[in-house]
Amino acid sequence: MSTIHITLNGEKRELPSGSSVADLLKLECAESQKVAVVVNENIVRPDKRESAVLQENDQVEILVFAGGG
Amino acid sequence: MNSLRLGSYTFTSRLILGTGKFSSVSAMIEAVRASKAQLVTVALRRFNREQAEDDLFGPLSEIEGLTLMPNTSGAATAKEAVKAAHISRELSGSPFIKVEIHPNPHHLMPDPIETYEACKILAAEDFIVMPYIPADPVLAKRLEEVGCSSVMPLGSAIGSGQGLSTAEMVKIIIRESNIPVIVDAGLRSPSEACAAMEMGCEAVLVNSAVAVARDPAAMASAFAKAVEAGFDARNAGLMPRSGSAVASSPLTSFLGAAR
Repeated sequence: MSTIHITLNGEKRELPSGSSVADLLKLECAESQKVAVVVNENIVRPDKRESAVLQENDQVEILVFAGGG
Repeated sequence: MNSLRLGSYTFTSRLILGTGKFSSVSAMIEAVRASKAQLVTVALRRFNREQAEDDLFGPLSEIEGLTLMPNTSGAATAKEAVKAAHISRELSGSPFIKVEIHPNPHHLMPDPIETYEACKILAAEDFIVMPYIPADPVLAKRLEEVGCSSVMPLGSAIGSGQGLSTAEMVKIIIRESNIPVIVDAGLRSPSEACAAMEMGCEAVLVNSAVAVARDPAAMASAFAKAVEAGFDARNAGLMPRSGSAVASSPLTSFLGAAR
């Protein structure tokens, strides 16, 4: 199976080729909560996550709200 | 006249609560409920699967009538703050953004130049822009002119508990502003929040004073009462100060004795 390499929240990760943003969220156990996803500086909205296929060297950020003043 | 207007939103509560530094999510939620706050701040952070319980969106969304105001904490430049604001709006669905740009982790003083640049951009993009600023009347006016919905001068350094050390500057900002002035940062006690409201602030933003109290929910409730008391007192009209005593009881005809 061929793989791609991405950076997720600053860490290198290996994924099966053809993985979508939605697949990544499932893999990270982040699919059931509200998160923001940014791929290469572009926000990927929930309705686009199934169709957004990740590419080699993509920079991905998954973000949530934490406590803050 | 009794509600706080920010952009197209109105709130009956004038206490804005921060959600940082609480010992647990449940302690934070109890404090938010006790404060009766309708606007709370949150911060954008990277998702961590090992600490998925840190995510506050779920627990906060169970509180009815609550609006989120994400902050841009962590941003050191206008560009970073604008990026954080876009992501936050996507996540929160709220147009509120607390612009908070403090490049120096030792004093956490807001960068006025980057703050101004970020606010200009975000106001043009229809955010309800709430900048955390140094207590500078000139900057406050400039931010009003670019379309901010309020200005939030600091009472003292973030988390310091030094109270309203900028009171005289905040008074000038209030006198000159046509938008709500909200003291944000540094407040330690409900009496200081009350004083800020008596002075003419439209709201106060409190985080550490509640979060690190022995009983955060009780402290949140105390702040809520103090903010309401200060607002009511201001509307009732404070008596003028006098340099000498002014008797409140009659000084003549005491027990028929002529003096």
